[in-house]
Amino acid sequence: MDPQLTSLIVPPDEVAHIDECLARLVDDTGGNYALLLDKSGQVIASNGDGNRQDTTALGALIAGSFASSQQIAKLLREKDFRMLLQQGVRENLFIALIEDQWILTIIFNKGTHIGLVKVLTKKATEELASVLERVRKQARSRDEVLGSNFRTSMEDTIDLLFRD
Amino acid sequence: MAIINVGVREIHCKIVYYGPGMCGKTSNLQYIHSQVPREAKGDLLSIATETERTLFFDFLPLDLGKVRGFSTRFHLYTVPGQILYERTRVAVLNGADGVVFVADSQRDKLQEDIKSLQELARNITRQNKKFSEFPMVLQYNKRDMPSVLPSTVMDKYLNPLSWQRFDAVATTGVGVFDTLKAISKLVISKL
Repeated sequence: MDPQLTSLIVPPDEVAHIDECLARLVDDTGGNYALLLDKSGQVIASNGDGNRQDTTALGALIAGSFASSQQIAKLLREKDFRMLLQQGVRENLFIALIEDQWILTIIFNKGTHIGLVKVLTKKATEELASVLERVRKQARSRDEVLGSNFRTSMEDTIDLLFRD
Repeated sequence: MAIINVGVREIHCKIVYYGPGMCGKTSNLQYIHSQVPREAKGDLLSIATETERTLFFDFLPLDLGKVRGFSTRFHLYTVPGQILYERTRVAVLNGADGVVFVADSQRDKLQEDIKSLQELARNITRQNKKFSEFPMVLQYNKRDMPSVLPSTVMDKYLNPLSWQRFDAVATTGVGVFDTLKAISKLVISKL
Protein backbone atom coordinates (compact mmCIF):
# COMPACT_ATOMS: atom_id res chain seq x y z
CA MET A 1 0.00 0.00 0.00
CA ASP A 2 1.36 3.46 -0.89
CA PRO A 3 2.07 5.77 2.00
CA GLN A 4 -1.09 7.68 2.78
CA LEU A 5 0.15 11.19 2.29
CA THR A 6 3.00 11.12 -0.15
CA SER A 7 4.73 13.92 -1.94
CA LEU A 8 7.24 13.15 -4.64
CA ILE A 9 10.44 15.14 -4.07
CA VAL A 10 12.46 15.47 -7.28
CA PRO A 11 16.02 16.53 -6.40
CA PRO A 12 18.06 18.84 -8.67
CA ASP A 13 20.36 16.13 -10.03
CA GLU A 14 17.39 14.04 -11.13
CA VAL A 15 15.75 17.12 -12.67
CA ALA A 16 18.96 17.51 -14.69
CA HIS A 17 18.72 13.84 -15.82
CA ILE A 18 15.12 14.39 -16.86
CA ASP A 19 15.96 17.58 -18.79
CA GLU A 20 18.78 15.78 -20.57
CA CYS A 21 16.52 12.86 -21.48
CA LEU A 22 13.78 15.11 -22.89
CA ALA A 23 16.29 17.21 -24.86
CA ARG A 24 17.75 14.05 -26.40
CA LEU A 25 14.29 12.74 -27.27
CA VAL A 26 13.33 15.97 -29.05
CA ASP A 27 16.68 16.09 -30.91
CA ASP A 28 16.75 12.45 -31.97
CA THR A 29 13.15 12.31 -33.13
CA GLY A 30 13.17 15.76 -34.72
CA GLY A 31 10.07 16.41 -32.64
CA ASN A 32 8.81 19.82 -31.59
CA TYR A 33 8.16 19.48 -27.88
CA ALA A 34 8.37 16.96 -25.06
CA LEU A 35 6.60 17.08 -21.72
CA LEU A 36 6.99 14.96 -18.62
CA LEU A 37 3.86 15.00 -16.48
CA ASP A 38 2.77 13.44 -13.25
CA LYS A 39 -0.40 11.41 -13.73
CA SER A 40 -2.25 14.13 -11.80
CA GLY A 41 -1.55 16.49 -14.71
CA GLN A 42 1.26 18.52 -13.20
CA VAL A 43 4.19 19.38 -15.43
CA ILE A 44 7.51 18.09 -14.10
CA ALA A 45 9.70 19.13 -17.04
CA SER A 46 9.48 20.19 -20.67
CA ASN A 47 11.80 20.69 -23.62
CA GLY A 48 11.53 22.04 -27.13
CA ASP A 49 9.58 24.81 -28.80
CA GLY A 50 9.86 27.71 -26.37
CA ASN A 51 6.79 29.43 -27.78
CA ARG A 52 4.36 26.87 -26.41
CA GLN A 53 1.74 28.64 -24.40
CA ASP A 54 -0.24 27.30 -21.53
CA THR A 55 1.62 24.09 -20.81
CA THR A 56 -0.36 24.03 -17.55
CA ALA A 57 -3.67 23.46 -19.33
CA LEU A 58 -1.96 21.12 -21.82
CA GLY A 59 -0.66 18.99 -18.95
CA ALA A 60 -4.08 18.84 -17.28
CA LEU A 61 -5.84 17.87 -20.52
CA ILE A 62 -3.28 15.27 -21.58
CA ALA A 63 -3.34 13.63 -18.15
CA GLY A 64 -7.14 13.71 -18.10
CA SER A 65 -7.28 12.21 -21.56
CA PHE A 66 -4.80 9.49 -20.60
CA ALA A 67 -6.59 8.74 -17.32
CA SER A 68 -9.83 8.47 -19.25
CA SER A 69 -8.20 5.96 -21.64
CA GLN A 70 -7.11 3.89 -18.62
CA GLN A 71 -10.75 3.61 -17.57
CA ILE A 72 -11.66 2.52 -21.10
CA ALA A 73 -8.95 -0.15 -20.83
CA LYS A 74 -10.49 -1.48 -17.60
CA LEU A 75 -13.92 -1.70 -19.24
CA LEU A 76 -12.33 -3.68 -22.07
CA ARG A 77 -10.63 -5.91 -19.47
CA GLU A 78 -7.18 -4.71 -20.49
CA LYS A 79 -4.72 -4.01 -17.68
CA ASP A 80 -4.04 -0.57 -19.17
CA PHE A 81 -3.27 1.24 -22.41
CA ARG A 82 0.37 2.20 -22.10
CA MET A 83 0.48 4.43 -25.17
CA LEU A 84 -1.81 6.83 -26.98
CA LEU A 85 -1.45 8.48 -30.38
CA GLN A 86 -3.43 11.55 -31.44
CA GLN A 87 -3.05 12.53 -35.10
CA GLY A 88 -3.67 16.11 -36.15
CA VAL A 89 -3.31 18.01 -39.41
CA ARG A 90 -0.10 19.84 -38.51
CA GLU A 91 1.11 18.04 -35.40
CA ASN A 92 0.72 14.66 -33.71
CA LEU A 93 0.85 13.73 -30.06
CA PHE A 94 2.35 10.51 -28.71
CA ILE A 95 1.80 9.73 -25.04
CA ALA A 96 3.44 6.95 -23.02
CA LEU A 97 2.95 5.84 -19.42
CA ILE A 98 5.95 5.44 -17.11
CA GLU A 99 5.54 3.07 -14.13
CA ASP A 100 1.90 4.08 -13.51
CA GLN A 101 3.07 7.44 -12.19
CA TRP A 102 4.45 9.66 -14.96
CA ILE A 103 3.30 10.44 -18.48
CA LEU A 104 5.75 11.24 -21.28
CA THR A 105 4.37 13.26 -24.19
CA ILE A 106 6.09 14.09 -27.46
CA ILE A 107 4.62 16.49 -30.01
CA PHE A 108 5.90 15.99 -33.54
CA ASN A 109 4.92 16.95 -37.08
CA LYS A 110 4.57 15.02 -40.34
CA GLY A 111 8.32 15.13 -40.99
CA THR A 112 8.89 12.58 -38.23
CA HIS A 113 7.94 8.95 -38.66
CA ILE A 114 5.73 7.49 -35.92
CA GLY A 115 7.83 4.30 -35.85
CA LEU A 116 10.93 6.30 -34.89
CA VAL A 117 8.98 8.18 -32.24
CA LYS A 118 7.74 4.91 -30.71
CA VAL A 119 11.19 3.34 -30.58
CA LEU A 120 12.93 6.37 -29.13
CA THR A 121 10.11 7.06 -26.68
CA LYS A 122 10.40 3.48 -25.39
CA LYS A 123 14.09 4.12 -24.73
CA ALA A 124 13.29 7.39 -22.96
CA THR A 125 10.58 5.80 -20.82
CA GLU A 126 13.05 3.16 -19.62
CA GLU A 127 15.51 5.86 -18.65
CA LEU A 128 12.86 7.95 -16.91
CA ALA A 129 11.55 4.85 -15.12
CA SER A 130 15.02 4.52 -13.54
CA VAL A 131 14.89 8.18 -12.51
CA LEU A 132 11.47 7.63 -10.94
CA GLU A 133 12.75 4.56 -9.11
CA ARG A 134 15.63 6.55 -7.64
CA VAL A 135 13.35 9.47 -6.72
CA ARG A 136 10.99 7.09 -4.89
CA LYS A 137 13.83 5.49 -2.97
CA GLN A 138 15.40 8.74 -1.84
CA ALA A 139 14.30 9.42 1.70
CA ARG A 140 14.82 13.13 2.00
CA SER A 141 12.85 14.75 4.73
CA ARG A 142 10.36 17.35 3.56
CA ASP A 143 11.43 19.75 6.28
CA GLU A 144 14.97 19.45 5.00
CA VAL A 145 13.76 20.55 1.56
CA LEU A 146 11.05 23.05 2.47
CA GLY A 147 12.38 24.47 5.72
CA SER A 148 10.65 24.42 9.09
CA ASN A 149 8.73 27.69 8.60
CA PHE A 150 7.32 26.77 5.22
CA ARG A 151 3.90 25.72 6.45
CA THR A 152 3.38 28.89 8.52
CA SER A 153 4.42 31.13 5.63
CA MET A 154 2.18 29.13 3.29
CA GLU A 155 -0.83 29.53 5.57
CA ASP A 156 -0.27 33.28 5.70
CA THR A 157 -0.19 33.41 1.88
CA ILE A 158 -3.37 31.35 1.66
CA ASP A 159 -5.17 33.71 4.06
CA LEU A 160 -4.05 36.72 2.04
CA LEU A 161 -4.93 35.38 -1.38
CA PHE A 162 -8.15 33.44 -0.78
CA ARG A 163 -10.56 36.07 0.40
CA ASP A 164 -13.54 37.94 -0.92
CA MET B 1 0.40 13.12 -5.37
CA ALA B 2 1.97 16.51 -4.60
CA ILE B 3 5.14 17.23 -6.56
CA ILE B 4 8.05 19.05 -4.91
CA ASN B 5 10.49 19.86 -7.69
CA VAL B 6 13.65 20.92 -5.87
CA GLY B 7 15.56 21.67 -9.08
CA VAL B 8 13.24 24.45 -10.23
CA ARG B 9 11.84 25.06 -6.73
CA GLU B 10 8.17 24.41 -7.45
CA ILE B 11 5.41 22.73 -5.47
CA HIS B 12 2.26 21.50 -7.18
CA CYS B 13 -0.85 20.19 -5.45
CA LYS B 14 -4.13 18.89 -6.91
CA ILE B 15 -7.47 19.55 -5.23
CA VAL B 16 -10.66 17.98 -6.57
CA TYR B 17 -14.21 19.19 -5.94
CA TYR B 18 -16.48 16.14 -5.79
CA GLY B 19 -20.20 15.66 -5.31
CA PRO B 20 -23.49 14.74 -7.02
CA GLY B 21 -24.82 16.43 -10.13
CA MET B 22 -25.77 20.11 -9.89
CA CYS B 23 -24.54 20.48 -6.31
CA GLY B 24 -22.37 23.52 -7.06
CA LYS B 25 -18.86 22.25 -7.82
CA THR B 26 -18.47 24.31 -10.99
CA SER B 27 -20.05 27.32 -9.24
CA ASN B 28 -17.29 27.14 -6.63
CA LEU B 29 -14.58 27.34 -9.28
CA GLN B 30 -16.37 30.05 -11.21
CA TYR B 31 -16.60 32.19 -8.08
CA ILE B 32 -12.94 31.58 -7.15
CA HIS B 33 -11.90 32.49 -10.69
CA SER B 34 -13.90 35.72 -10.55
CA GLN B 35 -12.32 36.88 -7.29
CA VAL B 36 -8.68 35.78 -7.33
CA PRO B 37 -6.26 38.47 -8.65
CA ARG B 38 -5.27 38.14 -12.30
CA GLU B 39 -1.62 37.39 -11.56
CA ALA B 40 -2.56 34.45 -9.34
CA LYS B 41 -4.81 32.53 -11.73
CA GLY B 42 -4.84 30.90 -15.13
CA ASP B 43 -7.88 30.52 -17.35
CA LEU B 44 -10.80 28.47 -16.10
CA LEU B 45 -10.95 25.53 -18.48
CA SER B 46 -14.35 23.84 -18.68
CA ILE B 47 -15.05 20.72 -20.71
CA ALA B 48 -18.82 20.77 -20.68
CA THR B 49 -21.85 19.86 -22.73
CA GLU B 50 -23.84 22.36 -24.76
CA THR B 51 -26.17 22.75 -21.79
CA GLU B 52 -23.19 23.63 -19.56
CA ARG B 53 -23.22 20.41 -17.58
CA THR B 54 -19.63 19.32 -16.82
CA LEU B 55 -18.67 16.54 -19.23
CA PHE B 56 -15.10 15.79 -18.22
CA PHE B 57 -13.77 18.36 -15.74
CA ASP B 58 -13.30 22.03 -14.94
CA PHE B 59 -9.73 23.06 -14.30
CA LEU B 60 -8.43 26.20 -12.58
CA PRO B 61 -4.70 26.69 -11.93
CA LEU B 62 -3.84 29.01 -9.04
CA ASP B 63 -0.37 30.41 -8.48
CA LEU B 64 0.33 31.43 -4.89
CA GLY B 65 3.67 32.94 -5.85
CA LYS B 66 6.89 32.22 -4.01
CA VAL B 67 6.69 30.94 -0.48
CA ARG B 68 10.06 30.40 1.20
CA GLY B 69 11.68 30.28 -2.21
CA PHE B 70 9.21 27.75 -3.67
CA SER B 71 6.71 28.67 -6.36
CA THR B 72 3.51 27.06 -5.14
CA ARG B 73 0.63 26.10 -7.39
CA PHE B 74 -2.72 24.62 -6.59
CA HIS B 75 -4.62 22.96 -9.42
CA LEU B 76 -8.35 22.88 -8.76
CA TYR B 77 -10.53 20.37 -10.60
CA THR B 78 -14.21 19.51 -10.52
CA VAL B 79 -15.64 16.15 -11.52
CA PRO B 80 -18.84 15.70 -13.58
CA GLY B 81 -21.59 14.86 -11.14
CA GLN B 82 -24.13 12.99 -13.24
CA ILE B 83 -24.51 9.28 -12.56
CA LEU B 84 -23.38 8.12 -16.01
CA TYR B 85 -19.95 9.74 -15.57
CA GLU B 86 -18.82 7.50 -12.73
CA ARG B 87 -15.73 6.23 -14.55
CA THR B 88 -14.80 9.76 -15.58
CA ARG B 89 -14.80 10.76 -11.91
CA VAL B 90 -12.27 8.00 -11.19
CA ALA B 91 -10.04 9.40 -13.95
CA VAL B 92 -10.20 12.99 -12.66
CA LEU B 93 -9.53 11.85 -9.07
CA ASN B 94 -6.19 10.41 -10.20
CA GLY B 95 -3.36 11.88 -8.13
CA ALA B 96 -5.58 14.15 -6.00
CA ASP B 97 -3.93 15.53 -2.84
CA GLY B 98 -7.18 16.67 -1.28
CA VAL B 99 -10.93 16.70 -1.92
CA VAL B 100 -13.73 19.15 -1.24
CA PHE B 101 -16.99 17.23 -1.03
CA VAL B 102 -19.80 19.55 -2.07
CA ALA B 103 -23.21 18.43 -0.82
CA ASP B 104 -26.56 19.81 -1.92
CA SER B 105 -28.30 20.86 1.30
CA GLN B 106 -31.85 20.40 -0.04
CA ARG B 107 -33.90 17.74 1.73
CA ASP B 108 -34.68 15.73 -1.41
CA LYS B 109 -30.98 15.58 -2.42
CA LEU B 110 -29.70 13.85 0.71
CA GLN B 111 -29.78 10.36 -0.81
CA GLU B 112 -27.73 11.55 -3.81
CA ASP B 113 -25.25 13.21 -1.44
CA ILE B 114 -24.87 9.98 0.53
CA LYS B 115 -24.40 7.85 -2.61
CA SER B 116 -21.84 10.25 -3.99
CA LEU B 117 -19.87 10.25 -0.74
CA GLN B 118 -19.91 6.45 -0.64
CA GLU B 119 -18.63 6.36 -4.21
CA LEU B 120 -15.85 8.80 -3.30
CA ALA B 121 -14.85 6.57 -0.38
CA ARG B 122 -14.64 3.56 -2.73
CA ASN B 123 -12.60 5.47 -5.30
CA ILE B 124 -10.13 6.82 -2.74
CA THR B 125 -9.73 3.37 -1.19
CA ARG B 126 -9.08 1.83 -4.62
CA GLN B 127 -6.14 4.22 -4.94
CA ASN B 128 -4.65 2.43 -1.90
CA LYS B 129 -5.33 5.33 0.41
CA LYS B 130 -7.10 5.34 3.78
CA PHE B 131 -10.29 7.34 3.33
CA SER B 132 -10.46 8.29 7.01
CA GLU B 133 -7.05 9.98 6.77
CA PHE B 134 -7.38 11.54 3.33
CA PRO B 135 -7.33 15.38 3.32
CA MET B 136 -10.96 16.34 2.95
CA VAL B 137 -13.39 19.12 3.82
CA LEU B 138 -17.16 19.20 3.40
CA GLN B 139 -19.19 22.00 1.97
CA TYR B 140 -22.94 22.12 2.54
CA ASN B 141 -23.99 24.24 -0.43
CA LYS B 142 -27.26 25.90 -1.40
CA ARG B 143 -27.97 27.04 2.15
CA ASP B 144 -30.20 29.77 0.66
CA MET B 145 -32.79 27.30 -0.67
CA PRO B 146 -36.10 26.97 1.18
CA SER B 147 -36.08 23.22 1.84
CA VAL B 148 -32.60 22.75 3.31
CA LEU B 149 -31.81 20.29 6.07
CA PRO B 150 -30.16 21.66 9.21
CA SER B 151 -26.37 21.27 9.08
CA THR B 152 -26.47 19.11 12.20
CA VAL B 153 -28.77 16.65 10.44
CA MET B 154 -26.50 16.60 7.40
CA ASP B 155 -23.52 15.97 9.69
CA LYS B 156 -25.25 12.86 11.00
CA TYR B 157 -25.43 11.32 7.50
CA LEU B 158 -22.40 12.83 5.78
CA ASN B 159 -19.86 13.67 8.45
CA PRO B 160 -19.34 10.78 10.85
CA LEU B 161 -15.58 11.35 10.58
CA SER B 162 -15.88 14.98 11.73
CA TRP B 163 -14.22 16.66 8.79
CA GLN B 164 -14.16 20.44 8.74
CA ARG B 165 -17.36 21.60 7.09
CA PHE B 166 -18.61 24.88 5.77
CA ASP B 167 -22.04 26.19 4.91
CA ALA B 168 -22.08 27.86 1.51
CA VAL B 169 -24.02 29.57 -1.22
CA ALA B 170 -21.51 29.06 -4.05
CA THR B 171 -23.35 31.20 -6.60
CA THR B 172 -22.90 34.28 -4.40
CA GLY B 173 -19.58 33.22 -2.90
CA VAL B 174 -20.68 32.61 0.67
CA GLY B 175 -18.40 29.99 2.20
CA VAL B 176 -16.41 29.42 -1.02
CA PHE B 177 -13.12 30.91 0.13
CA ASP B 178 -13.47 29.54 3.65
CA THR B 179 -13.72 26.07 2.08
CA LEU B 180 -10.77 26.66 -0.25
CA LYS B 181 -8.59 28.03 2.56
CA ALA B 182 -9.36 25.02 4.73
CA ILE B 183 -8.55 22.39 2.10
CA SER B 184 -5.42 24.27 0.99
CA LYS B 185 -4.06 24.46 4.54
CA LEU B 186 -4.95 20.81 5.12
CA VAL B 187 -3.11 19.70 1.97
CA ILE B 188 -0.07 21.81 2.86
CA SER B 189 -0.01 20.43 6.40
CA LYS B 190 0.29 16.94 4.94
CA LEU B 191 3.10 17.76 2.49
